[in-house]
Amino acid sequence: MTSPAPYDLIVIGSGPAGQKAAIQGAKAGKQVALIEQTREVGGACVYQGTIPSKTLRESALQMVRFLQTTEVFEFRMRDDVKITNLMTRLDRVVRAHGKFMKDQLTRNGIDCLHGRAGFVSDHEVRIQKIDGTAALVTAPIILVATGSRPRIPDNIPIDHEHILDSDSILSLVYLPKSLTVLGGGVIASEYASIFALLGVQVTMVDTADRPLKFLDQELTDEFCEGFKKTGGHYRGGQKIDTVQWDGCSKVTTVLESGETLESEKVLVALGRVANLEHLHLQATGIHPTTRGLIPVNNHCQTPVPHIYAVGDVIGPPSLASCSMEQGRRAVCHALALDAGIAPEHIPLGIYTIPEMSSVGLSEQEATATYGGATVGRARFHEIARGQISGMTNGLLKMIADPKGELLLGIHIVGEGATELIHIGQMGLLHNMPIDRFIDNIFNFPTLAETYRVAALDIAKQRQR
Amino acid sequence: MITPLAEEKRETLRSFLIDQLGRGNLDLPLLPVVANRVLLLSNDPDADASKLSALIQQDQALAGQILRIANSPAYSTRTPIVSLQQAVTWLGLTMLAGLAFSVSVQNGIFHTTGYEKEVRNLWRHALATGLFGKEIARRIRHNVENAFLCGLLHTIGKPAILHLLSQSPHQSAEPFSWTTVESLFEEFHVIAGSKLAAVWQLPDPVQETIRYYQDDQYHQGLSPTKGAMITCLAHHLASVMLGDSTHDEHTLLTLPIVQDLNFYPEDMAALLELRESVRASVECFLP
Repeated sequence: MTSPAPYDLIVIGSGPAGQKAAIQGAKAGKQVALIEQTREVGGACVYQGTIPSKTLRESALQMVRFLQTTEVFEFRMRDDVKITNLMTRLDRVVRAHGKFMKDQLTRNGIDCLHGRAGFVSDHEVRIQKIDGTAALVTAPIILVATGSRPRIPDNIPIDHEHILDSDSILSLVYLPKSLTVLGGGVIASEYASIFALLGVQVTMVDTADRPLKFLDQELTDEFCEGFKKTGGHYRGGQKIDTVQWDGCSKVTTVLESGETLESEKVLVALGRVANLEHLHLQATGIHPTTRGLIPVNNHCQTPVPHIYAVGDVIGPPSLASCSMEQGRRAVCHALALDAGIAPEHIPLGIYTIPEMSSVGLSEQEATATYGGATVGRARFHEIARGQISGMTNGLLKMIADPKGELLLGIHIVGEGATELIHIGQMGLLHNMPIDRFIDNIFNFPTLAETYRVAALDIAKQRQR
Repeated sequence: MITPLAEEKRETLRSFLIDQLGRGNLDLPLLPVVANRVLLLSNDPDADASKLSALIQQDQALAGQILRIANSPAYSTRTPIVSLQQAVTWLGLTMLAGLAFSVSVQNGIFHTTGYEKEVRNLWRHALATGLFGKEIARRIRHNVENAFLCGLLHTIGKPAILHLLSQSPHQSAEPFSWTTVESLFEEFHVIAGSKLAAVWQLPDPVQETIRYYQDDQYHQGLSPTKGAMITCLAHHLASVMLGDSTHDEHTLLTLPIVQDLNFYPEDMAALLELRESVRASVECFLP
């Protein structure tokens, strides 16, 4: 092997976090190497996760919109509907996104290197190529952004044929008749609601008494109600004993309570694990945490100060939006550049059907911090735009201090929630008084009016 | 090596095949009723063990073979398999549907006197390709059932050519030399397979795989299930396993398909480790 190629910054992994880190380094005038083990840049976000699942979701929603227009069109779903047909746009979306990212990296003079990266020392990285050859690169700063993959529990024999994980679920050619979803987190809830809407009999099973327990309960109640309306069932407080394909036509899930559930397919969505296995972290002196994550400080700096880690490899919140910012800020810190004010209010977006989004304090957190909370609510069916668009299943919940004057948090469930949340985020960032939502004018008819209605609800309580 | 006389014979047969394959009303065999229904059933979301076993029961030879396979060492359970429904449950619907199809076709229309051993080898290769295809699909999180069917049927054109040759007016008492037949396969099996697949209305991804599974063609495959790419590599792995490839374990790594599927040496090593289990399955299905 020849002597290592020198760079100013090595980034391992080209997902959202790695890309932004590499671009930040290049914009600072540094020579950057971006190592990616797959042929395309973008990471799991583009090829297995966010983009494919959102494309499927969008197709499901389009189908519902058709179903809502039966007075105009004669429409029924084909019995042999293929998932691949529902994802016809996916190739186009992924190709366009991949090209955009590749162009951006090339434009910034970043060297994209294809291969599997493993540390040789804390300054040297070996790149193993597909043909079996290897190359060495070295840099004073190294950033790890290798992402995560679905966790495979020991007691569940995932075969990617009948018992699937969140990567292989998208390989289904036909919609199954029934699907058991193991898990109650974000990925489980997103797929459960999409498949239920597509007419699959979905049963979610989890240990928690309700899905997405970290969210405001009123939001999850609304989600559960919608899920139930599409034929879905949520089985909370259940532990899984065994999962077994019968070798023919169904998978049997046995719960610890002794109850059995049968379905054509099972989706296992019980968390994700960091991709560390090829990194040879031991060569750097970094020891993963007991949860298999890379330990970092507030600047995403590992115990080896010139090695940074960002994105899913450092654990929650595992949001693409946060990972991108972590990548950018980590490189700014490493290069002693001003990264600007650290984001205070990070919105959380969950692409279930209906969407859910949240920013700021929850009612419980506000009560704990301020000794109480005033809560304003606006339901989508009270809003003209909700009625016009047929988006009546929704709620905006506004959290204020006990006097009902200061905005503390916004929680939304309903279509458009992940866009609508940003009004609340801006309000929080500028410490906006509740009355500002009442005194100003919103476009009519829009769902943004829910802010005004919720603020009025708070004002009404204040007057009492 | 083809002798001048054999070359002359080959040219005659070649002209015959060009003529046959160029015809709009090509005399290709019809898909046996049971095989056709098995294939339809494997794509039917309502299919279950009882429906498939009822169908297989209509073909005694087929039923006997299925029971033999289910009781073979590679698949046997602690308790003997005594019923077809039990066999279907144990072997799996997709696997069984594909095999029932293959056995039914093999014993029927493609039973060509004089080439029994060679035809058996063709089916062994096809089955090994299907089984490797499943494992490749599993690794890249693509559809496993589809990969099996694509692999199993990717060279269906070869027995189809034998069928056409058996109709040839140039037949003599002696069968054509296998070297001659293989050279005709090389030239015509894709076009013959494509035509047969269209006549039999095989699923679209299977038709695409038959057309494009070869090294210089798989880039043309558009199906999101990547049947052509998966089958291309599975075909090579099966050839290496069965000892009829110019490649070995090391030169396999240099194939463009390995690069295009992004398989690192350790991924290929993991696939090659499956050789014995694939071989065992092939042996018990087609001893």
